[in-house]
Amino acid sequence: MTSLKLTKYNIGRAFIYLILLFFAFLYLAPLYVMFTTSLKDIEEIRSGNLMALPIDPTFYAWKKAWSSACTGSECNGLAPYFWNSVRIVVPAVIISTIVGAFNGYVLAKWKFKGSEFLFGALLFGCFIPFQVILLPMAKLLGMLGLANTVTGLVLVHVIYGVAFTTLFFRNYYVGIPTELVRAAKLDGAGFFAIFRHVFIPLSAPIFVVTIIWQFTQIWNDFLFGVVYSGSGTQPITVALNNLVNTSVGGKEYNVDMAAAIIAALPTLAVYVIAGKYFVRGLTAGAVKG
Amino acid sequence: MGSISLNNINKSFGSTEVLKNINLDIADGEFLILIGPSGCGKSTLMNLIAGLEDLNSGEIIIDGLNVSDESPKDRDIAMVFQSYALYPTMNVARNICFGLEMNKVPKSEQESILKRVSELLQIDHLLDRKPGQLSGGQRQRVAMGRALARSPKVFLFDEPLSNLDAKLRVEMRTEIKKLHKRIGTTMVYVTHDQIEAMTLADRIAVLKDGELQQIGTPYEIYNDPVSHFVADFMGSPGMNFIECIVKDENLIIESGGKKYEILIPCKDALNKSNLDVVLLGIRPEMLTEVQPSTVGNKFIQKVKFDVEVIEPMGADTVAIGQWNETEVMVRLSPESGNSAGNGFDLQVDTSKAILFDPSSGLRLR
Repeated sequence: MTSLKLTKYNIGRAFIYLILLFFAFLYLAPLYVMFTTSLKDIEEIRSGNLMALPIDPTFYAWKKAWSSACTGSECNGLAPYFWNSVRIVVPAVIISTIVGAFNGYVLAKWKFKGSEFLFGALLFGCFIPFQVILLPMAKLLGMLGLANTVTGLVLVHVIYGVAFTTLFFRNYYVGIPTELVRAAKLDGAGFFAIFRHVFIPLSAPIFVVTIIWQFTQIWNDFLFGVVYSGSGTQPITVALNNLVNTSVGGKEYNVDMAAAIIAALPTLAVYVIAGKYFVRGLTAGAVKG
Repeated sequence: MGSISLNNINKSFGSTEVLKNINLDIADGEFLILIGPSGCGKSTLMNLIAGLEDLNSGEIIIDGLNVSDESPKDRDIAMVFQSYALYPTMNVARNICFGLEMNKVPKSEQESILKRVSELLQIDHLLDRKPGQLSGGQRQRVAMGRALARSPKVFLFDEPLSNLDAKLRVEMRTEIKKLHKRIGTTMVYVTHDQIEAMTLADRIAVLKDGELQQIGTPYEIYNDPVSHFVADFMGSPGMNFIECIVKDENLIIESGGKKYEILIPCKDALNKSNLDVVLLGIRPEMLTEVQPSTVGNKFIQKVKFDVEVIEPMGADTVAIGQWNETEVMVRLSPESGNSAGNGFDLQVDTSKAILFDPSSGLRLR
């Protein structure tokens, strides 16, 4: 390395980094405010500067948000709703991913008359806005006796998610050479054996992509949650909304902020843990033999 | 053991007819090559034998049993693919044993088969590797090992050597031939490489546009082709084709600025055809520098030849000039000392020359 000179190139570089830093700061500022506010007590929030670090950090707001804040008439914090969300998200992600993998396998490698049309129709599901299906879905859930239940919400999310998971898996499997299927057929493997022994082991990157995608979508969903849940089965997003809108006495900004971070933590965690696979999976086109 | 009969095979994809009424009998233990230009239907025919595509009409009989409607796994066939199609997530050992595993062969038997096959193909040191960690030649061996493991009635090879570099291709070619000698199983082998076809085959079947042009031993295909197409396809450098005017049962050739009447052996065919202009087919190795040892053969004639281009190939040298304004390739010894732009006396041996109808391309017999 030569010593740093004030060349035209370096000035340009410095300028670029300055702009990048500025935007990074801009994007991170809200998270910073949320986090610092959640650690302040209400007095400090009222009197102090929004951007200042907490003078005497306290986890009071976090404890309250988790276990005793009021969401409407009940005052049990977010905890029960957090577990509701888990009970909705885990089965919905697992089922929609497995169904999507299977659909994708069939649509990519076992084409039949009309399979392309079916795939097109399924794709259409990706573009239907949530609002459009609210009423018919409510009716269906009512007929199935699943209205206001966790199972009902799982069903809605599975149905809505299958369009996306199928798209992911189908496009991934199209890139796997069909000769592998043929070789396996000649080796005596059937439809399920080929899926299990040849395709599933190749699918780790696309499983990660699909799971992150589905987890984020379902965890963050508010509309289905608010429409199809009853009291006691609401997901965390709905509870967060209720918590923020319930005002007993003054507004507790620190509790609101803590609650919002709690609601967002699982998706953040999933992305941090599996994020590098996410990017890799999205760009993984060819499987080299 | 592994004879194959293809009876009146037809196959079309949509409105495109890919195979038209193919009839072919392959004897047990035979090495049959299917050859033709790309798009001639040779790979489709192979997929039909394997059961990977469905027939439109006709029947496939393997070892006396009609397997036309059987699924691939019930036909007792193994195939080596052009891309090898090794399972990327399995190691070499499991790739080879996967077929056995699917057919519920006991573990101990699998192991003894794996040992035998991997030693035969000299891949026993690679068993723990994944296909991605192997070179092209090693993958090729593993693909063959996978086919061998099941001891099938018939082996199918779909252009197995086309992804290898030239040197390795020659090595593997020899190895496949040795393998066939050793195990004696029927092999059907698709290629578009005429040298592979000539060197490996017991018999060659030439396909064009979904039709079988000719079936025969490499010698028959090379020396006695039924059509311009077959003659053109086999041989490197290829056969020369020159349109010639017929005069008194001889052919007129203009070479080196002079006209010659060339004597040819197949006069009866020429007379029978009643053509004024025919297509003369003559292989480059019949056009050489004058060789004193060949006197007494009445079909040996001398013409002047102007060399335009010289292409040294090592073992011999190809010189290119013109006859009747058509390019002609002749095969010279590298020591002949000819160079581009010079003329010399060319010895023309027409004893193996053949004639074609210029419009239909069919052989005059």
